Amino acid sequence: MRRVAVTGIGVVCPIGHSASEVFEAARAGRSAIHKLTIPGAHRLAAPLAATVHFDAAEHFEPPRQRLLDRVSHLAVVAAKRAFADAACELTPAERARAGVFLGTGMGGSQSMDDGYQTLYGEQSNRIKPMLILQGMHNAPAAWIGIEHGLLGPNLTYSTACSSSSVALGEAWLRVAHGMLEVAIAGGSEAPLSLGSLKAWEAMHTLASVDADDPATSCKPFSKNRSGMVLGEGAALLVLEPWERARARGAAIHGELLGYGLSTDTGHITRPGVDGQAAAISAALASAGIRAEEVDAINAHGTGTQANDSVETAAIKRVFGARASRIPISATKAIHGHLLGATGALEFVLSLLALKNAVALPTMHLQVPDPECDLDYVANAARVGAAGRTMLSNSFAFGGTNAVLALRAVS
Amino acid sequence: MTTAERIRAILVKNYKLNPEHLTPDARLEELGVDSLAMAELLFSIEDEFGLVLASETTPIATFGDVVQLIDELIAAKSSRAALEHNTYSATQSLVITADAAQQAP
Repeated sequence: MRRVAVTGIGVVCPIGHSASEVFEAARAGRSAIHKLTIPGAHRLAAPLAATVHFDAAEHFEPPRQRLLDRVSHLAVVAAKRAFADAACELTPAERARAGVFLGTGMGGSQSMDDGYQTLYGEQSNRIKPMLILQGMHNAPAAWIGIEHGLLGPNLTYSTACSSSSVALGEAWLRVAHGMLEVAIAGGSEAPLSLGSLKAWEAMHTLASVDADDPATSCKPFSKNRSGMVLGEGAALLVLEPWERARARGAAIHGELLGYGLSTDTGHITRPGVDGQAAAISAALASAGIRAEEVDAINAHGTGTQANDSVETAAIKRVFGARASRIPISATKAIHGHLLGATGALEFVLSLLALKNAVALPTMHLQVPDPECDLDYVANAARVGAAGRTMLSNSFAFGGTNAVLALRAVS
Repeated sequence: MTTAERIRAILVKNYKLNPEHLTPDARLEELGVDSLAMAELLFSIEDEFGLVLASETTPIATFGDVVQLIDELIAAKSSRAALEHNTYSATQSLVITADAAQQAP
């Protein structure tokens, strides 16, 4: 097995457009969650979201812009930034051994929403000819492959909220086993259409608006948590063999050590302690590390009653008495839940936390919950945090639990 | 505006093409209008001219081909409309004749 280095980070997300921007926002606990103002927002019980300041017209010529859904716009720009960060020029032979691994839960849902509006809302048959290409889940990965001429596997994973962690893990597997020389992996999501928001609302999983400050509406691990807040964005990373990165003098952000998967089969949405604990244990085994070596965890921490207490129990199950001494960060409090892209963004934040020796805060943790009784780094970053090894948890509707293990460069 | 001018305006607006390049012989693919862009162009043309194109149109390579296709469709539509109008008029006159017959003493 080869060691796998992360040499490129590209983000387009609610808390920033570069590694330094997202890290600073997360360290300071600056929330990007706000009252949503899209047409029809008044029909939402809790019109909240974490949106990206992003104008596709600044990045695409009009014909190409029209051909892509927002989920692909975000992905293509994030990938471009990741390759630029990696300063990674690929030869034709290397492009044949380079792949794309992308997670998205909802694909081009905004375009599909627009199509349904035309067909059912306006009773028109004038469906735009590009709708299939905009809506298909594999469009973001396909466009990244086209933009960079990546001729190896081009794969899309759709396992709801763990999609991009799965994408990163599957890319890691192939690079580690010598099947690929370079992978670009991560996720993209653009779910902030009225149709998607109403569907999530109907699930009773979304947070209510904090009357005092809407930006604090997502409150992971706090007893008064009321749910998650949807966000949009993309995070893509360049992975390559450690030796290759060293040989070309690349700046290495960190190492992806391994990846664990498990599946909850008890219920389509209800998280299970057994499954989450199994995924964490599988990640440790995959990375070849002991539980005692884990210095910090980026929690899935959605801010729903169900997830946060179950995740706490799963961490206790694996780490025993030591669980209460592990700093746990839930950054969704400020960037929202990016669904299929959230695992990749949180992996980026974990890398940056290790790199900067900072435990990122779990913001808006206002009321202790007896069922969530671990160290969540409540409300303020912990600068000078010791440690080199982290886990990043992602758990999903449908039951696919994915945990990534990562390490700082020594 | 002529058909050519209206189609040229769509191409300039949607694809940022130089209108001077849009001569009858100009090959659209060479100007960046690939098969996907062509599907989108035909959709816009349908809206502009109030036409519905068949799923399989005759091969279109040049700007002139598009103009010719649309001109033919416009002509066919006009003929159909005229035919329907004439049929309607003829039917009406028959009805009037019949009515007149019934009213005849």
